[in-house]
Amino acid sequence: MSLKKWLSAVAAAVVVTTSVVPHASAAGAVTLLNVSYDPTRELYEEYNAAFAKYWKGKTGQDVKINQSHGGSGKQARSVIDGLQADVVTLALAADVDGIATNGKLLPVNWESRLPNSSAPYTSAIVFLVRKGNPKGIKDWGDLVKPGVSVITPNPKTSGGARWNYLAAWAWAKHQPGGSDATAKDYVKKLFKNVPVLDAGARQATTTFVQREIGDVLLAWENEALLAIKELGPEKVQIVVPSLSILAEPSVSVVDKVVLRHGTREVATEYLNHLYSKEGQEIIAKNYYRPRDTEIAAKYAAQYPKLNLVTIQEFGGWAKAQSEHFGDKGVFDQITTQQ
Amino acid sequence: MRLRTGLAGAAMAFVPLSVAFAQAAPAPTPDPAVLLQRLEEAENRIKVLERKLENQKDDATAAAASAPQVRAGGTRYSIGSADGSSFVRLRGVVQADGRHFEGDGSPATSNTWLLRSVRPIIEGTFNNIYDFRVTPDFAQGKTVLQDAYVTARFQPWAAVTVGKFKQQVGLERMVGDADTRFPERGFPTSLVPNRDIGVQIGGDVAGGLFTYSVAYTNGVNDGGSSDANATPDIENDAKGDVNARVFFQPFLNSDNFALRGLGFGIGGTYVDSTGSGTNTLLTSYRTPGQATFFSYRANTATTGNNATFADGERLRYSPQFYYYYGSIGVLGEYAVVSQEVTRVNGAVTRSDKLDNKAWQLQFAWLLTGEEETFRSPTPGTSFQPGKPGYGAWELVARVHQLTIDPDAFTGGANSYANPTTAAQKATAAALGINWYLNQNLKWFFGYEQTRFDGGGATGDRPDEKAYLARVGLQF
Repeated sequence: MSLKKWLSAVAAAVVVTTSVVPHASAAGAVTLLNVSYDPTRELYEEYNAAFAKYWKGKTGQDVKINQSHGGSGKQARSVIDGLQADVVTLALAADVDGIATNGKLLPVNWESRLPNSSAPYTSAIVFLVRKGNPKGIKDWGDLVKPGVSVITPNPKTSGGARWNYLAAWAWAKHQPGGSDATAKDYVKKLFKNVPVLDAGARQATTTFVQREIGDVLLAWENEALLAIKELGPEKVQIVVPSLSILAEPSVSVVDKVVLRHGTREVATEYLNHLYSKEGQEIIAKNYYRPRDTEIAAKYAAQYPKLNLVTIQEFGGWAKAQSEHFGDKGVFDQITTQQ
Repeated sequence: MRLRTGLAGAAMAFVPLSVAFAQAAPAPTPDPAVLLQRLEEAENRIKVLERKLENQKDDATAAAASAPQVRAGGTRYSIGSADGSSFVRLRGVVQADGRHFEGDGSPATSNTWLLRSVRPIIEGTFNNIYDFRVTPDFAQGKTVLQDAYVTARFQPWAAVTVGKFKQQVGLERMVGDADTRFPERGFPTSLVPNRDIGVQIGGDVAGGLFTYSVAYTNGVNDGGSSDANATPDIENDAKGDVNARVFFQPFLNSDNFALRGLGFGIGGTYVDSTGSGTNTLLTSYRTPGQATFFSYRANTATTGNNATFADGERLRYSPQFYYYYGSIGVLGEYAVVSQEVTRVNGAVTRSDKLDNKAWQLQFAWLLTGEEETFRSPTPGTSFQPGKPGYGAWELVARVHQLTIDPDAFTGGANSYANPTTAAQKATAAALGINWYLNQNLKWFFGYEQTRFDGGGATGDRPDEKAYLARVGLQF
């Protein structure tokens, strides 16, 4: 082999060897970053410990999962801007779509890679009110009454807020004589009663529960159940509206990042394991609605009975996101006019 | 009448008094429930305002954490990512020189002011791994691309560089262009390559105790860069050069501070290649005042070509060292280029291996007490008229010598070099002062005298006596 070819081969070997070394923080260990939406802290604290034990038992490798939490839309933008997420576990499919189409960090057919369109669990939107329900809030219509203060996060940053908004819109449209125009008018009145727009669902919970601002919190069902567990039923109670929306938080591996980090295998298994019996049990324990029918039946009693619409009511997330939450969408129109 | 008037007057007096009494009467007590409601509303408003302020602070903190970092000042003008892993930096080097010569050694036309370097430098890093640098130079009416390379630092011990970059062979050559202690580098640097195009693997081992590099490049003439090749920045012969260097700093982490600044090593290049009369692959050597004092014979034949040209192996090696301790710095190196040459002069063809050798010893002393290092010192104070502080003052001295192989001059008319125009030896000594006004501005003034063996029409070429000055700006 000529000297030139030998040197080129050595250079190539150095490049290949050093660039595909797994993303290791210590000898044999691997680290993942899970970029998630705001209220899933407790879920992933428990799940990550379980997954690390599972992975160690299966492969002998130590895995450390770092978490990042925030409003779903804001988190998606951070990943597009360069936050090195190995996996994203966000509040809605539209935010993962954004990472695919705008960030080009994962394929546009990401939803088909995992069961249930890559949504390992579901949730819904309920009302959380002060104990005794002093303002007598029973349904969506009560939220626009004078003197009622509603806490919901900002739909521009929070995935939960977008589910809240769409649930409100759906209720208004289902009323007698309901239409897009009446729904828009209703949502406009609703947001007039919102004194603070937090960036994410957990911040909104903090505003309502700890800062004691507002009469009603539009909350993820799991967040409301967690608040009752943490504070006790003597502080807050759930009011089940007549109509809500089936919220389907979505998960995906971020392909370009795992390729760079060499973590595809462990990241894929991290998400797969959410669908396992162990994963679904942890999901249910944290008040999310598991997909596994057996575990869902086991925990059925803890969930309120809800009448649910789906995102298909709005033509899917791509249409809903563009129409309602995009620049100069309906949300921008109603908040500008206020 | 009087009584009526009096009574009327008294009644008149009572009216304003009664009005006054009526005004002074207390307002009705507001409903406590209303007061409580207003108080609750006020409390709620305060809570909402406090929460909004809290959210604003959180947003500001998050924005600051993701905001690009912009730095401007001193030696750093850059913009980069919030986490610092990627940045682009603008730097620059501008050097204006003055050369004045005394005596018969240099014609009056040699006295000159000139722009020695005008280099805007764009460099940066992406993802903490990939470095790049682009350096054009617009000095002396030319545009030359000095640097254009990318380095991938996969590991501290494995960095791969591709492009046009400074070759890691000669020690003084590796001193930054703005960091040299003298306007022109010493004779050993004239024998080793400057910038070339190719690929290099190198890195630091054990935290810098051992440094290595191995490169495969197009190859350049002694002291030259690839832009000076027959076809600029293109391979100028049939074979590439292999360059390599190792350098040790064995006491870098030692408790013995006196030895920490010692470093030594050796660099070298090798190629086996053949030039021609029109592309000789040989170069000339210059004095510190940039006058040519040695060249191989050029073509003078009317038919054919009788220039001396490289023909065969060229091996360069350069043992080198530096030592820095407190305000004192010493740099020394020895360089040899062993070059096989041929000359065809009419019917006579001669071939030989010529060993040209050079050495230098540089001494630097920061009179103002700063620490000497391989790079420019950081002045302890800056000089600003009317304010305390005088910058850093550095006394520098060097001796250096270049000796041409005597066999270059044997053979009479068939010699490889003409002894009446090419000197066999040049020995120079210099003394100078560097004044670092601040981190960015430096003045140099010094005197350097070069003595020659041979190179004159009869006897030795006259000494070059040069007063050299430089104003250098870098950022």
